[in-house]
Amino acid sequence: MKLINRIRSIPISYRMPLIVALLMVAVSAAISERVLDRLSRTQERFLDGLAQTYLDGLSSAVLPAVLRADVWEVFDALDRSASSYGALAPLETIVTGADGRVLAASDPGRIAAYSELPDGFVDRYGPGLVTIDETSMTGFTRRELVYQGLPIGTIHATFNVAHLFAERREILITLLVTNGALAALFSLGGFLLVRRMIGPMRVLESHMRAAANGTAEPISPGEFPSRNPEVASLFRGYNALVHAERERADLAMRLAEEEKVASLGRLASGMAHEINNPLGGLFNALDTLKKHGSTPGVRTTSINLIERGLQGIREVVEAALANYRPERSARPISPTDLEDVRLLLRPELRRRRQRLAWTVEWSDQGELPIKSAPVRQAILNLLLNASAVTMEDGEIGLAARVSSGELSIEIHDQGPGFPEDIAGILVDDDPGPALRAGGGLGLWMVRRVVDDLRGEVRVGEKPEGGTVVTLILPFPAEERRADAA
Amino acid sequence: MEISGRRRSAGLSRRDVSLALAASLLAASSVTVRADETTFKFGLTPVFLTSDLELLGHLRKYLSGRIGGPVELVMRRTYQEITALLVSGQIQSAWICGYPYVQYRERLDLVATPSWQGKPLYQSYLIVPSDRAASNWRDLRGDIHAFSDPDSNSGFLVTRTLLAEHRMMPEEFFARHFFTYGHRNVVRAVASRLAQSGSVDGYVWEVMRETEPDLVARTKIVRRSEWLGFPPIAAPKFLADEPALVRLRKALVSMADDPDGKKVLKLLRLDGFVVTEPSLFDTIAAKVETVRRFG
Repeated sequence: MKLINRIRSIPISYRMPLIVALLMVAVSAAISERVLDRLSRTQERFLDGLAQTYLDGLSSAVLPAVLRADVWEVFDALDRSASSYGALAPLETIVTGADGRVLAASDPGRIAAYSELPDGFVDRYGPGLVTIDETSMTGFTRRELVYQGLPIGTIHATFNVAHLFAERREILITLLVTNGALAALFSLGGFLLVRRMIGPMRVLESHMRAAANGTAEPISPGEFPSRNPEVASLFRGYNALVHAERERADLAMRLAEEEKVASLGRLASGMAHEINNPLGGLFNALDTLKKHGSTPGVRTTSINLIERGLQGIREVVEAALANYRPERSARPISPTDLEDVRLLLRPELRRRRQRLAWTVEWSDQGELPIKSAPVRQAILNLLLNASAVTMEDGEIGLAARVSSGELSIEIHDQGPGFPEDIAGILVDDDPGPALRAGGGLGLWMVRRVVDDLRGEVRVGEKPEGGTVVTLILPFPAEERRADAA
Repeated sequence: MEISGRRRSAGLSRRDVSLALAASLLAASSVTVRADETTFKFGLTPVFLTSDLELLGHLRKYLSGRIGGPVELVMRRTYQEITALLVSGQIQSAWICGYPYVQYRERLDLVATPSWQGKPLYQSYLIVPSDRAASNWRDLRGDIHAFSDPDSNSGFLVTRTLLAEHRMMPEEFFARHFFTYGHRNVVRAVASRLAQSGSVDGYVWEVMRETEPDLVARTKIVRRSEWLGFPPIAAPKFLADEPALVRLRKALVSMADDPDGKKVLKLLRLDGFVVTEPSLFDTIAAKVETVRRFG
């Protein structure tokens, strides 16, 4: 099972050729076994035939000499037959007489005439005509010499069968090389075929990878396979998906813009209120100046009043400008950006008579390598949300902290807490379902900012009631490396 | 039969009877040979290298040219067969061994005797495998011994006489002995160690040293006999006046003067043929006598 699982985990473009190769190995092993078996039988038949012919020829040559016990004639026949039966490669032939003694051997120096037959010669034979000893690569055979029905002697022959084993080995090597080459060829063919077959899937895969990285592009018509309707249909489906996703993203973008405008409206009304409040005092001061401007004490007091009122108005206008000045949007974030948010929020807080707990632990790091505009927008959205869900006279808060490699911003309120599906917009892996469930466009904007900055959102509850939303924004990797360096 | 009649008048020994019997058997089997009366039949024994077909071709061509008619070279396995054919007159002449010549000296004439290394003489050798320590013929006691032919002088009689002079029979001195019916076979038997020693024609051994050096190198000589009469070319006495035999003698004696004859002599490593007296074979006759006396 483990092996099967391991094989399954191999990519199909390699798995297929591997399976073809394994099949070829199995088939060639079976074929080789059959071929060698047949060869072995053919060789045995051939050897039996040769041995039979050798013994027939030798018997007729030596029989009269054996009858006369003529040592020389027997030897002469053996000597001449050695060169006549080259195909059998006789190593040693011994002819014994009726008494079992050696009449002559092909090598008399080893086995002398008139001697006893050496031990082991009689019981070395198997049931067949030829007995083969694979260790010494020799074959043995014998023939009784019979004259008028009576045994008069025996021929014992030993021959070299190494060539048979060499032939088997040669054929085995030929089979291995041929089958190995075929297996390699078929595997290569399988590999190319499968690659060609899964080529369109690779196109789809590369587009999907690109989509996962945020740049979903439709497959161009040039990449559509002309002769594969199934794949073409798949590609068309993918392209439809990409188009739908784009439309959805565009819509979301538009909605976000609208939300931005809406929050801006709220801010603008707050700002108008903020500006309107001192305006009454300013006009009163102007009237006082017109009527009693000649009185030095009144003039000084009125001018001071007008100055303070105008200063307040300038602060509000500057904060609004800072927030919506496009050339500043790519600037790295600094504590000033947080102060701007605070300023923008002030009118809304004052309107709702809410307090703001403000903690910034930025120390002296100054600017951080994170784009300021989206973060400011996200914080503003979250604080406006916090303010909206907190009762009048209540308290909301912001705590910003810079630690190694990340900026953490915590926003808390005294509201009843996020409904679960709304919180999902911030924390779920796929915010789609929560978003479709309704509302929360401001939160979705926050989520997009955090995702773009590869950050993280955590939503929790405070023990004394209220919600805490924490944004963890890491510094970009190259910046972190630069810092480390 | 004419030949049988001549024998009866001469008195019959046991050898004569067996020879006559063999001759009549051979005569019966040689009907085709007898049918052609004009063919000159020349017998050959394994005294020399009868297996050399090139030699036989040249010899036949030379003799045919000089005798003036077709020549048939008649070969048999044993000396006895050729001797029987010769003595009975079924072949006009033959190259036989000195021992059969001595045995039938009364019925055979010498036509010519080969001359080897300047003399019509040769020796008998006792040989053993080259790596054997034996240095004296006495070291061969208990051997399996190879003889050439029971009617061969150098391949049997000489060793038989040596043992007889020391009051021994081959069966006593050697553990076993056998006949190979050819001097070359004696060399093969000893070289292959089928036999531990052998009696061989010294001339054949020396010629083989040139023609088959590898085989001969596996043997060495333990004893050389005294010089003895070289195996002669003989003819039946009763055919002595035949013109063909006169031409044969001339052809043999003048062989060295003829290009074809030279080829034959070169192949045989002989100087030529000379006319010799029967007394050249007295030494062999003496050996026959020694053996006869010993039993």
